[in-house]
Amino acid sequence: MSGVLARFGTAFAGLLVLLFFAAFAENFASFGNLAIVLKETAFLAILAIGFALALTTAELDLSIADVASLAAVATGALIQGGAAPAVAVLVGLGVGLGAGVLNGLTVTVLKVPSLIATLGMAAMAKGLGFMITQGVAFVGRWPREFTGLGRGSLFGVSNLIWWMAAIGFLAWLLLKWTRTGLHMVATGEADEAARLAGIRTGRMKRLGLALAGLLAGVTAVLLAASLSSATPNMAADHFLYAIAAVLLGMTMIEPGRPNIPGTLLAAFMLKALGNGLVLLGAPYYAQDIALGAIIIGSVALSATVMRRAAFTKKLNFRTAG
Amino acid sequence: MLRRDLLGATGAALTLAALPAAAQTPFELAVIGFQMSSETHARAANAAAAAAKEKGWNVTLLNSEGSLPKHAEQFAALIQRKPGAIVVCMGKPTEADAQFEAAAKAGIPVITIMSGSSPHALFDIAVNEYQVGAQAALWLLGRMNYRGGLLTTRFEGNTATRIRGKVLDAVLSENQAVTVVGSHAMARTASWQDDVRAGMQALLLRNRGRFQGVWASFDGQAYVIDDLLQAQDFKKGQVPIISVDGGKETYRRIADPDSTLMATVAVPFEEMGRRAAAAVEAIVQRKQPRDSITTGPYLLLDAELVDQGNVQRFLTP
Repeated sequence: MSGVLARFGTAFAGLLVLLFFAAFAENFASFGNLAIVLKETAFLAILAIGFALALTTAELDLSIADVASLAAVATGALIQGGAAPAVAVLVGLGVGLGAGVLNGLTVTVLKVPSLIATLGMAAMAKGLGFMITQGVAFVGRWPREFTGLGRGSLFGVSNLIWWMAAIGFLAWLLLKWTRTGLHMVATGEADEAARLAGIRTGRMKRLGLALAGLLAGVTAVLLAASLSSATPNMAADHFLYAIAAVLLGMTMIEPGRPNIPGTLLAAFMLKALGNGLVLLGAPYYAQDIALGAIIIGSVALSATVMRRAAFTKKLNFRTAG
Repeated sequence: MLRRDLLGATGAALTLAALPAAAQTPFELAVIGFQMSSETHARAANAAAAAAKEKGWNVTLLNSEGSLPKHAEQFAALIQRKPGAIVVCMGKPTEADAQFEAAAKAGIPVITIMSGSSPHALFDIAVNEYQVGAQAALWLLGRMNYRGGLLTTRFEGNTATRIRGKVLDAVLSENQAVTVVGSHAMARTASWQDDVRAGMQALLLRNRGRFQGVWASFDGQAYVIDDLLQAQDFKKGQVPIISVDGGKETYRRIADPDSTLMATVAVPFEEMGRRAAAAVEAIVQRKQPRDSITTGPYLLLDAELVDQGNVQRFLTP
């Protein structure tokens, strides 16, 4: 019983909150509204999956949001300038991947702690974003071939949901069913033991950070396509929520370990909370307060499990006592 | 038995009497402020919300926190809530075009404030920024006797402040005895006060004695420059500063003999909020045609220049 509570306690708590919204917020449980929530979850979920992959190797990537903003700006500049959408998309992904690779090299070759290295990258990405835009957004009626990536649909389901599902599935596959994924997990949980066992831990860390950068690039392209615009801080809002989604995800399914299903569920819960509070008519400040309280409450439910987990001990996430 | 029947009948009568009241839920106005931590956004949004409450309406007030994705997301959620109307303050109609269109399709009227026009909104309530820019530029040049050096601090990231800067350029092109000796373009929105402080401090030091006036694209920038000039012992009127927006702090500084801020062009943000609520009442509730409010995509309000001559009128509540 306690095992079930540990694995699904947060999910149950989230379910209770969703049931509350379904009962009291008109239209919350309607198909149309849930489709909107799922669609809005995509940006956060994809960014959070990137953060989770880096965290799996016990490295923090605090640059994801600023790298995503920079990649969006690079993509937007090209689209605005009349470049082919495919080229703009590749450049956006390339900017994300490039930043991730640089983060990986800084951490593993220059031995700069990822907290510092990625903070530095975040500052540079922000500066470059403002340099390219001069603070003015790229915005316009962009070609449908590009905006369709975010605004279009397939079989009646928004493309954003397809992207999220595909990326979530691939990330889960990588971590659970490939040797590389197992090596990434081993690196994160006990890098010295992993190294002695012959795992190239530096390479795993570089891979984790590179994938985080690449997924920041994917988020950027989808954001720019959905909003037909690119600004130098457009993904900033997702930063703390992406971290919250990963940490909240670590309290369920595989408690104490960054995991993809938990991250996806947590991202959905966070977005559903925001949506439910809007539908309830809660004023904006009450929404922030409620959101914070619910996040703390959910994580507190599984705090005991978090304390026991090897991974969180290593990252010093332990709560006092 | 009789008592129970009487109680039952009374209960049923009360229930029936209450039914029409319960069925008639109050009208709901949703207000979205794009960045409620910005004073001007909050002033317009809060005024719209307050005016709606005075009319007995339910109000949902949201803050997009300056984030485009959040703005679009809140808009989409609001459409599901189906309010009677939506007022968007300093929104982004081009970026949130899909949501504006969805609101129109759902039959929810949208009025924007200082956001720019949208084909899916009724109209945008704004001031004529070209006129505002001209008022500010000509007041400043007048104080400088149409000669001397000028320092400017700009913000190109916002349509209104950008227009004000372009109008200043146009005015200067016709008055070439005034030259811009230094200009700082504010780009960083998250920590813009630091950006203005650093940029203008350098300009003030480099150009000491070479400038006779300072132009700021909005009041927040002017406060920073005013503080810098006061720290360097500049006296009121020695180097006049003008900016745009208005508000309690601006009027206090204009009246303050120690402050170097001399004038502003007051944008009526509260009036914009009230006019938005009034327009919703006229169009949605009283079914008046939209053209009875304004015929174009904008409802333009007057902006008034405030300096020491009339600031007392703005200081009294």
